[in-house]
Amino acid sequence: MSETTEVMSLKEKLLADFSIRKTALLLENQVLRGFREKSAEAFAKLGFPGKKHEEYRYINFTSILSPEYSYSFSPSTSEIPSNVLENSLVLNDAFRVVLVNGHFSENASQLTGLTNGVVVESLASAIRRNDVHALSHLGTLANNEADAFIALNSALFVDGLFVYLPKGVQLEKPLQIIQVSTGDAQQITMPRILLVAESDTNAQIVHTQLSLASTSASFSNTVAEVLVEQNAFVQWTTLQAEENSASHVNTLEAHVKKGGNFSTVTISLGGQTLRNNLQIALDEAACEAHLYGYYHPTAGQTFDQHTLVDHRFPKCESNELYKGVIDADGTAVFNGKVYVRKDAQKTNAYQSNKNILLSEQATVNTKPQLEIYADDVKCSHGSSTGVLDPEQLFYLRSRGISVEKARALLLSAYAGEVLEKIPHEALREALADALAERI
Amino acid sequence: MLSIRNLCARVEEKEILKGFSLEVKPGEVHAIMGPNGSGKSTLASVLAGREDYEVTSGEVIFEGKDLLALAPEDRAREGLFLAFQYPVEIPGVSITNFLKTAIAEQREYRGLPPMEPKEFLQMMREKKAVVEIDTNLTNRSVNEGFSGGEKKRNEIFQMAMLDPKLSILDETDSGLDIDALRVVATGVTRLKTPNNASIVITHYQRLLDYIVPDFVHVMYEGRIVKSGGKELALELEEKGYDWIKKELAAL
Repeated sequence: MSETTEVMSLKEKLLADFSIRKTALLLENQVLRGFREKSAEAFAKLGFPGKKHEEYRYINFTSILSPEYSYSFSPSTSEIPSNVLENSLVLNDAFRVVLVNGHFSENASQLTGLTNGVVVESLASAIRRNDVHALSHLGTLANNEADAFIALNSALFVDGLFVYLPKGVQLEKPLQIIQVSTGDAQQITMPRILLVAESDTNAQIVHTQLSLASTSASFSNTVAEVLVEQNAFVQWTTLQAEENSASHVNTLEAHVKKGGNFSTVTISLGGQTLRNNLQIALDEAACEAHLYGYYHPTAGQTFDQHTLVDHRFPKCESNELYKGVIDADGTAVFNGKVYVRKDAQKTNAYQSNKNILLSEQATVNTKPQLEIYADDVKCSHGSSTGVLDPEQLFYLRSRGISVEKARALLLSAYAGEVLEKIPHEALREALADALAERI
Repeated sequence: MLSIRNLCARVEEKEILKGFSLEVKPGEVHAIMGPNGSGKSTLASVLAGREDYEVTSGEVIFEGKDLLALAPEDRAREGLFLAFQYPVEIPGVSITNFLKTAIAEQREYRGLPPMEPKEFLQMMREKKAVVEIDTNLTNRSVNEGFSGGEKKRNEIFQMAMLDPKLSILDETDSGLDIDALRVVATGVTRLKTPNNASIVITHYQRLLDYIVPDFVHVMYEGRIVKSGGKELALELEEKGYDWIKKELAAL
């Protein structure tokens, strides 16, 4: 006897989906039962963040998240065109996982040659076979209660990726996760990724987010959880090159243990409305995090970078550099918080955000935040927003270089400071070309 | 080659060039000296096309073309080169990439085929020797972290690579120790041909010990007030600028 209003909101629609599928979802595994329920409750309570939500002030999802969206529990039936994998952002010499609308595609993935007990498999199958590592960490790394998008993903995700690196293993080749959103029938997708890197492991991950050109909109709500155990080193590159019909909330939450290192490079080039929530908790002493980002929104695009580095223990180090170029009527947001807790003495934390506006209509909202509760720390932060340096432009022109070429040289040099942090040469080159074309 | 007639220019509301005239022919070296604030650097900036300056009257003909009507890049492509007094640092742009781009664009403008990479590298090697520049320097970003001497050497190195018809050296000697000064000046002298010309702007005579000018002009309050041969520079070194100011006041 439920009341029905004329049009259900997307929130109500998704909660109804949860109720309908509840039995199936809750039956999948004992351990996950309470987790699913709690997540749905948290989402019901939080709802999609509106303009008044402090953390989502500058990005408007309420107009995007209309009831026309629907969520599908089963894999897409449409084939991924083979040319998607011919994208220049796809590495040749890498292990490859393809996620289509969040579902692990066995056919398109390329995992031969994995050794030493490394697990790279569909998250659904890891849950089905009660993988102890998957089940003991899933949902424990990303904070469900605090963010509606994480809670929603936790309640409804069906599949995704599980990666496990046993103690001491070095992944021989980078692992590229190619996440494709097909955009058929205005779908909302919930990809879920869990990476557990045991102590003394070493891995390079490339998380490439693409979408198919589509007339209908798509929305991805991705959650990746990463555990970097003692003395492990995980380098994580995120490349966002979706079509203009695609919007995305991409959450990556990592926990780093003693002596561990989690290094990220996030490159946002495509998509309509993009929000990255990158949260790194330095969970034990003497570990480090590096966060580099480059974003380049142009006409009609909004790219929002939210980062949080949580220094919880002494002698940890974090380094952050985010640079943006905002063109046409594009909008960028940078909100970077570095939190140094009372016990986190001898912390070194640096943060810098730089923006170049290429047009009068371009907008950036930048908010670097440093909250320090320890007294013996070295921390700095800064942000700058400006235009291309007229002195540099004149110098280049005075040598016979055209204005257009001079701008291109300066902008690629500007981006280069971030791009050079990507450890894969082929990707650096492909991105440099993509940027040159954009400029 | 260059003919400047009655040039007047201002920055914001301030008149700086007040009827400046000068003729430069191929093969000549002209020195422009003068006290601080006489407008020497403004002249260099106006000729190179810096946008902060407004030309209010007069004309500049360079190789038969109206120089002031050209964009800065086209002035360079026509064969004008300015060695900056304060070369700007450009992080992330290597000297090699920068010069490759500049030469490619200049050649295209002149209707020349692109330079072969091998030829470019060969030329880099030769010209580096002229200004005694370290090989490692050209792999670095333009002027980034360079010493004062390295920046000025890099200016002359670019001049050597671009092979301009007319070079304007704006206070290239300022901030240089004697060794750097010698290297820079020797470089300039070695690049001299009967077909190119230079205007050397300087406050001090010492640069002219190395770059021997054909003409010395004294600039004061925005125009040339006295011209002579290289002996005029020595006279200025000895007596300073006050006697010229007095001479003018007496008129």
